[in-house]
Amino acid sequence: MKSNVNYLVAAVFVALIFFTIIYVTAILPATTFTPNKSDVAWEYSSSEKRGRDVYRREGCFYCHTQFVRYQDREMGEMVKAGDYVFETPHLLGTERTGPDLSNIGGKYPDAWHWAHHTNPRAVKPGSIMPSFSYLSNQDMTDLVAYLQTIGQKRVQPRWIVAPQEFRDKFHGVAEKTDVNASSFANAGRGIYMQNCAQCHGVTGKGNGSVSMTMQKKPANFTRPFYAGYDDATWYWRISEGVPGTRMPRWAKTLSDEDMAYLVAFLKTLPKPPSAKAGDISVTDYAALDQPEEMNQNFWEIEAQKHGSGESDPFTAYSEETKGAHE
Amino acid sequence: MNIIQNICSELLSDKPYSASRNFIISGVFWLLIGTSLGLLAAALMTWPDIIVNVPQMSFGRVRPAHINVVAIGWLSMGYLGAYFYILPVLVGRKGVWNERLANLTCLVFNLLVFTGVLSILNGYTEAREYAELNGIFDYIVLVGLFLSGLIGFKTVLTGPEKKWYVSIWYILGSLFWFPIVYVIGNRAFVAFEGLNDAIAGWFYGHNILGMWFTVGGIGILYYLLPRFTGNPLYSHTLSMIGFWTIGMFYAPTGTHHILQSPVPEWLKAIAVISSVFLLVPVLTVLTNFFMTMKGKWSLAAEHIPLRFVIVASIGYLLTCMQGPFQATRAINWYIHFTNWVVGHAHMALLATFTFIVFAAIYYIIPKVTGRKIYSKKMAVWHFWLSLYGVAIMMIILTCAGLVQAAGWHFAIPVDQWSVEMYPYMFIRFLSGVMIVLGQLIFIFNIYKTVFSKEAEPAPNSPTGIAFV
Ligand code: HEC
Ligand code: HEC
Ligand code: HEM
Repeated sequence: MKSNVNYLVAAVFVALIFFTIIYVTAILPATTFTPNKSDVAWEYSSSEKRGRDVYRREGCFYCHTQFVRYQDREMGEMVKAGDYVFETPHLLGTERTGPDLSNIGGKYPDAWHWAHHTNPRAVKPGSIMPSFSYLSNQDMTDLVAYLQTIGQKRVQPRWIVAPQEFRDKFHGVAEKTDVNASSFANAGRGIYMQNCAQCHGVTGKGNGSVSMTMQKKPANFTRPFYAGYDDATWYWRISEGVPGTRMPRWAKTLSDEDMAYLVAFLKTLPKPPSAKAGDISVTDYAALDQPEEMNQNFWEIEAQKHGSGESDPFTAYSEETKGAHE
Repeated sequence: MNIIQNICSELLSDKPYSASRNFIISGVFWLLIGTSLGLLAAALMTWPDIIVNVPQMSFGRVRPAHINVVAIGWLSMGYLGAYFYILPVLVGRKGVWNERLANLTCLVFNLLVFTGVLSILNGYTEAREYAELNGIFDYIVLVGLFLSGLIGFKTVLTGPEKKWYVSIWYILGSLFWFPIVYVIGNRAFVAFEGLNDAIAGWFYGHNILGMWFTVGGIGILYYLLPRFTGNPLYSHTLSMIGFWTIGMFYAPTGTHHILQSPVPEWLKAIAVISSVFLLVPVLTVLTNFFMTMKGKWSLAAEHIPLRFVIVASIGYLLTCMQGPFQATRAINWYIHFTNWVVGHAHMALLATFTFIVFAAIYYIIPKVTGRKIYSKKMAVWHFWLSLYGVAIMMIILTCAGLVQAAGWHFAIPVDQWSVEMYPYMFIRFLSGVMIVLGQLIFIFNIYKTVFSKEAEPAPNSPTGIAFV
């Protein structure tokens, strides 16, 4: 009995400490931590608010985070505490199965989001994002309206660009090699046939003989999208490879000069955009064909089918934002 | 009329230990549902187009349903089933304080899980991880927890035995802490704005694990271990040190889940430091485990429940070495946002605490029904399928996490490498098939034990070795 009393005294004492700890770490911040709203914080309109509820209801935050960390390169600006004053309940997320969405607003046109939510694999082959084709038109409109507000269209590069260290490095290389000269492109063709064609194919379509063994198909360099790559980005991708895929880090085997020749050659492959896909606004899953090849994309197939001479909205859009960035 | 009366008297019976039995049976049922939902989620991550146009079967809804069913339907109900056997035995009484009320609590929980999972699948969700149950359901959880706490405390305080064995401390501790944690973490009761919502949300998200699953699971472990081995618990002092330090160090760690978000730095610092200090309670538990096992390892060859306890303890060792490690900023910097964390979560809840409840069930069911477990062979299959399943899942998710981490840190757009996740996700799916298969065998075995017409009576076996 006596030992029990001793324990009880201790228990009361410890319980006090315990409650203090809980108070300090869970409740107290709500009174002391009240950041001012930043220019990115956004008070949602009713449609956007409904869209945010769709986002919560469909569990998008189990796969998408909404905070950019300082080590996240190419995801746009880092977030600040003040960005979140209207984010109640929070949608920070803890797992990135898909990309961070803190800067998604303005990255794609609405039509792209409609197509992507309806059948993600039509526009992003190999994506494991679920299809949300069951959403009503109203839900879809609101959801897209919400997505377009996130990050307040902070300007950001459309696709990946080479990190600065590679830009500097390439600058040095380019002084010795003119990547726009056809003679260098021809030299690059030779190196390409020896090292790359078994995967990327002789015509650069990503259908080389080895590609059939791969889950992630080699890049298809004839896609109009690659027309947007600048020289340093080509150089960087060849030099460092694509982690997580079978694309090697060529800097380990090829010289800087060889890689510059390859840049000169690869630049000759992509076709500029040639056709318009039209506005897609569907919630019908079956209406969006999936490309057969992993390295193709719905918009490009549509463009080839309809071939009307205008550029497809997706690429045109990217040209626009790119202009704004430069 | 008679039938209804029969069912009522069965469901709300006041036979000693009937509540324990009913909780365990319901828990086992929800375990099968919960793991099947997990398997469905794993399938959706492998073949995203197998089910389209069915909102209830969309990944973003199946995943929270899976988590809530395994966390509340299976683990919590399994815990309460074990508690309602262990507490009365330890204080030397027959059955809990009010068996009828305990059975009513069991009904409340079943109703809660059933309606709760349907509501989540249909999109009625609070949309905060681990706290998905929304609005009215939060109140029902609280009622259930309040009733369980009341029964737990009353059972102990009105029991003849006044010298409390450590398990009682742990179990009562979990019953006391969890309702508090639940209230702070759910927007039905405490609703903060913006990032403060994330802070409170992860206070809850971490402490449902720390103050409920860990504290309760260790209470059950401390009860089972001396019984299974026939050795007295190595050190009561160590176990009490463990108890008080868990309380101190778990409470402030929540922020390590959002370590890299723009919340106040001092909170993050406290979270990281106390995460590392969690090694103190962990090491007390493990020292006690290994010292109590001394000289008894060979028992595991025949003693099936003991095997589960051994796996659970090793799972606890691994999880809790990994935990402080990945809570440090340098490691968290790399592995956050990836499947590594999902591997860790399964190591904790599946390999550790689920295995503890398995052991408890194999021991308690013969005790409360007076019947020997129907088939030893099935129990062995259940053991190996679950063990291999969770081991494969853990390894493959950890590898997948490292690949993902590399992808993020090389700034490669995720759609360029996410298909490379396919082999990992496929193997994870296979591991899920093994686990679900194991649980099917388990539920059949338990069903046969409890409900078949004629059954072998449970032999007199103090260590429980002859029960299975
Ligand atoms: C199973 C996990 C998963 C769920 C759930 C999910 N996504 Fe995705 N999401 C992905 C993956 C993987 C990608 C990358 C491939 C792609 O673009 O399809 C992605 C890409 C995206 C992108 C393009 C991002 C970019 O920067 O290119 C947007 C926008 C998006 N998702 C929105 C949503 C919305 C809105 C929801 C909820 C209705 C949602 N996602 C639910 C996995 C998911
Ligand atoms: C083993 C097969 C293989 C070989 C050999 C190979 N690649 Fe690749 N390559 C891939 C794969 C797979 C990808 C990833 C495709 C993607 O990310 O969409 C890729 C991607 C790329 C990319 C990046 C495309 C992007 O989207 O940014 C470039 C550039 C590239 N390869 C150039 C080359 C060059 C030049 C060579 C020869 C020196 C070469 N590759 C050899 C398989 C290969
Ligand atoms: C009783 C057993 C189980 C428990 C306690 C459990 C617990 C959990 C927890 C806590 C999470 C959340 C992880 C996080 O925070 O990111 C989770 C996620 C998940 N679990 Fe389980 N689980 C169990 C069994 C299973 C089984 C058998 C499968 C089938 C393969 C499975 C598949 C999944 C999937 C697919 C996710 C989502 C992961 C993601 O979002 O990437 N689980 N589980």
